Amino acid sequence: MVKVEHLGKRYTTPDMDVEALSDINLDIGEGEFVSLLGPSGCGKSTLLRIVAGLIPATSGRIAVDGKVVSGPGPERAVVFQDYALFPWMTVRENVEFGLESRAVPRPERRAKSTELLSVIGLTDFADRYPHHLSGGMKQRVSIARALAVDPSLLLMDEPFGALDAQTRRTLQNELLRIWSAYRKTVIFVTHSIEEAIYLSDRIVVMTARPGRIKAIIEVRKKRPRDMATTEMNEVQREVQGVLEDELVHTSDVHADEITAH
Amino acid sequence: MAKSTSQAPLGIAPPIGVEAARKSLQREGAREKLLGIGTIILFVLIWAAIYASKILPGWAFPSPWQVIVAFNEIVTNGTLLKNTLASIERQFTGVILAAVVGVPVGLLLGANSTARAALLPICRLLYPIPGIAWIPLAILWFGVGFTSTVFVIFFSGIWYVIFNTMAGVQTLPAQHLDVARVYMTPRWLFARRILIPGALPFIITGLRLSYGVGWRVIIGAEMISSIVGLGFLIDDARWQLRPDIMVCGMITIALIGWVSETLFFDWVERLTVERWGMKTN
Repeated sequence: MVKVEHLGKRYTTPDMDVEALSDINLDIGEGEFVSLLGPSGCGKSTLLRIVAGLIPATSGRIAVDGKVVSGPGPERAVVFQDYALFPWMTVRENVEFGLESRAVPRPERRAKSTELLSVIGLTDFADRYPHHLSGGMKQRVSIARALAVDPSLLLMDEPFGALDAQTRRTLQNELLRIWSAYRKTVIFVTHSIEEAIYLSDRIVVMTARPGRIKAIIEVRKKRPRDMATTEMNEVQREVQGVLEDELVHTSDVHADEITAH
Repeated sequence: MAKSTSQAPLGIAPPIGVEAARKSLQREGAREKLLGIGTIILFVLIWAAIYASKILPGWAFPSPWQVIVAFNEIVTNGTLLKNTLASIERQFTGVILAAVVGVPVGLLLGANSTARAALLPICRLLYPIPGIAWIPLAILWFGVGFTSTVFVIFFSGIWYVIFNTMAGVQTLPAQHLDVARVYMTPRWLFARRILIPGALPFIITGLRLSYGVGWRVIIGAEMISSIVGLGFLIDDARWQLRPDIMVCGMITIALIGWVSETLFFDWVERLTVERWGMKTN
């Protein structure tokens, strides 16, 4: 489904040269739910944006469904952290935006948005504007907008990062429900270990400077997952172990930099 | 209003503190209104006092009462209506033309760096030329009357529309542009559904400014290059030695400017950017 090979990304400006991603290799299967987990600055969002085709890679390549990615494509849709809804469009118009962009006739758009609004439980809000909605509702609309274009790959960039704990759990469960109903492949960026474990089939743990894949941890437990079991605790400790290793490492680097100055 | 009631649980009165706070806010609002009106009344009283003191000769300085009488005269004989309509027609034509040309140019300048590099310097160079400076040329090109006045209004106002529209596009959140790229939105749909509504708060500001400038320039233009309009009415009153009519013209300009600024543009904002939650009060 998704094949990432020797991917690298450098940001070069006259006064700096940062290696954001280095030698990323990753294979994601059809229908798989994969999280990209790591501290801020590890390049997980950069990787997601490259897969989305929003920014180019410096080296290596990405193929989705066997086609090399050189820009955005109809088989991919993105859910952004800050919802990115258009305030001047009603909830329904926002959901239909991808379809409108593809010149889908109005009656078809209507049918699709009606279906998705009921899936996300916002039928009564179809004609409201986004600023009337809570954060959780906004992110539901954003998810519906992505689903409307029927992508095979759903890219989610810390979608629940700005939500309170309770809303977050509700939306995680809804996402899992939607994921199993619509059978999408999902790449999910998060910095929450708990969230990654609760949702994913596999967790890609990334390290900072340069952004590299440190470990890929499989979570085999059936859903819905009870996070309080010893089994889940063990997974949590395992992931934490990998990340803490990384924290020690980065603070070493930091210490080196300080002494270097 | 509907918003605040929907937030409070049904059947439960807001706490007394909230009620008292709202009352005091209302009192504060009423006090501010009274102060504003009071100052206007004071202004008219000072005006009357200066007239009574005869510092300025009576044939050059009308009393408030004489102005009211003059108003009655030019309303009854139809000159006020005729000249006001002429000015409004020119003003609307000029501002609408400025919008029709200025908004697309501003969108282009905001969205395309090549267009910006090519066109921005000349826009910056033409912008500081006062509209009035164009009048003699406009008379040579279009003669005295409608077209030259409209031209001057157009040329005075278009820069505000262009620069504000451009700023509106440039300050659009990057996430909106990302969404358009993800869904591969065609160019025309992108302009219509994202650029224009996204830049609308700025576009409205640009139109407001262009309207204001046009209304200021039109009077000068009509004094020089017209035989009808409020500017003509004021200038013509000079030849008749009728300062009361001049003041009538000025008051009419003030009222129309005030009404259209506050009523029309505020109405447009309520209908659009305020409804969308894009205006922070």
